[in-house]
Amino acid sequence: MQHSPFVRLPVVMAILLTLSLDTLMAAPPDGYRFLSLTEATQVASRENKPMLLYFGRYGCSTCRKMHAEVFSDESVNAKYNNAFVLAYVDTESGNRIRLGSGETTTEMQFATRNRILGTPTFVYFSADQKPLFKKAGFQTIAQMNLYGDYILQNHYKSTPLQEFIARQ
Amino acid sequence: MKCNIAGLCLALAIFQAQAADRWIFASRVNVSGPPLAGVFHHLDGSGRRHIAVSGKSVAVVWEDNRSGAPQIYVTLKTLAQETFPAALAVSSGNEAYEPAIDAISGDRFVLAFEQDAAVFARILTTQGLAEPTRLSQAVASHVSIASFDRRVFASWRERENGRWFVKIAELRVANVNRLVIESLQSVETEGLETPVLFPVIAVNSAGLCVAWEDRRAGHTRLLFSHAGVAGTFSAPHSLNEFFSNRNEYDQGSGVTRLALSSFGQNEILAAWMDKRRGGSGYGIFAALGTDAGSMFGPNEKVHGEEGDKQPHNNPATAGNQAGDFAVAWDDFRRGDSDIWISAYDPGLEWSLDYAPPVASGSGEQTHPSITLDEQHNLHLLWIQRSNPDGPSQLWYSLGQTRQEQ
Repeated sequence: MQHSPFVRLPVVMAILLTLSLDTLMAAPPDGYRFLSLTEATQVASRENKPMLLYFGRYGCSTCRKMHAEVFSDESVNAKYNNAFVLAYVDTESGNRIRLGSGETTTEMQFATRNRILGTPTFVYFSADQKPLFKKAGFQTIAQMNLYGDYILQNHYKSTPLQEFIARQ
Repeated sequence: MKCNIAGLCLALAIFQAQAADRWIFASRVNVSGPPLAGVFHHLDGSGRRHIAVSGKSVAVVWEDNRSGAPQIYVTLKTLAQETFPAALAVSSGNEAYEPAIDAISGDRFVLAFEQDAAVFARILTTQGLAEPTRLSQAVASHVSIASFDRRVFASWRERENGRWFVKIAELRVANVNRLVIESLQSVETEGLETPVLFPVIAVNSAGLCVAWEDRRAGHTRLLFSHAGVAGTFSAPHSLNEFFSNRNEYDQGSGVTRLALSSFGQNEILAAWMDKRRGGSGYGIFAALGTDAGSMFGPNEKVHGEEGDKQPHNNPATAGNQAGDFAVAWDDFRRGDSDIWISAYDPGLEWSLDYAPPVASGSGEQTHPSITLDEQHNLHLLWIQRSNPDGPSQLWYSLGQTRQEQ
């Protein structure tokens, strides 16, 4: 069987329901309204907003670098805090999530099953909760803003991401 | 520690043994029946201890949601029996998770599990389950259990007044196999503001070793503490010895999900997931401790070169008093996830990785748990799914030691 995290995420994500979740233990960036995965999924569905799913790890150096150098930027903050629902998954956490299939698993097992190899990894979802693309590793301010515009301006409906980036 | 010089390793590989040279996994036994839509089995928790052998019996414990909520189940058979009987329900609350099991003696076992944000322990015999005993006083989880010479110890994490503790209890087996808390202490008397995760305990004639994931340094480190059997715990020491420092933001590579087993007379095997290899995800690393973990030797990479560019997950350890020890994990170097095993070869190096045919091939074979009996046999338990999100089954296989061993 071929495995693609990007392909498998929608299968899992689309059926996520909330059961329980411990307090977030890891460290999403300050100044952002990051929610647990289950909370974010509910909010995104209710408010019909796109979602950014951030796979991080407590102590992850590239995550910290992005927090200090990218998420600290006002344009990124304004774009993501206002227009996106933000979800954070700690890839080493034992926090539990319940999937719509009835399975309860941990954030770490969820990340492992979706073969998230490194952090940070960002998965973008459209307002109708369809996964659009995944980006792993350090992303610049310009890149984060481009990804945001790609979704918020509905370019994803007609243009592949790479083509959209090449035009900029 | 394994050699990193490619040419030399190639030459050594010619003579390097596989775990296949030590154990023959001839067949597998279904533990949980056929896969059922909507039913998911889990082998997860501190130290991944879900299988144990005591006397002539083997027992396995897991969590599944057959009742509509996650609960703990156990089944036990004699080594000679070919099938496992129907499972017994271990937990009784709203939801329960992350069980652990160890052998006591004479076909008797001790179980521990989380139920409704508390941790419990209870005895299992061939006659059934004894009454459970609540171990924790506040919100608690991540329980581990270990027994040696009829003494039983449990470790777990507990949060009191917003501070995190690693708790250790010695349990006495009282009348009608009811467990009684004989003593209770915290590894560190001052609780932490940062979480501790998945403490696991091992015990032998030289005392106790407890190790856990610790976040006080601003990133996760594996710490361990040692105590004589009747003593107090030492100040924590670092178990993982690699700390990257690539830039101003870097405080160390990721380490997680520690497993711990006693082997020999007073030795300890620790194995864990470690991201020190960089972009390849987690590797499996280990360290061997003496004097019940009062000190550990250097970190060693367990898995071989073949899968070195792949991530590895869910390590489990096993050891016996005869001195055998082994590590199992899962990885998807062949596409689907398979179970892999490594043990020291005669040259005192980690053997070539071995995927028992009964626990590899099509579908997802994941989450191994292992135990070694005193006859040198390796007992293996794992989860199989036809696809990663599908219903699951539990399988057991006996890896019989080769006669020349």
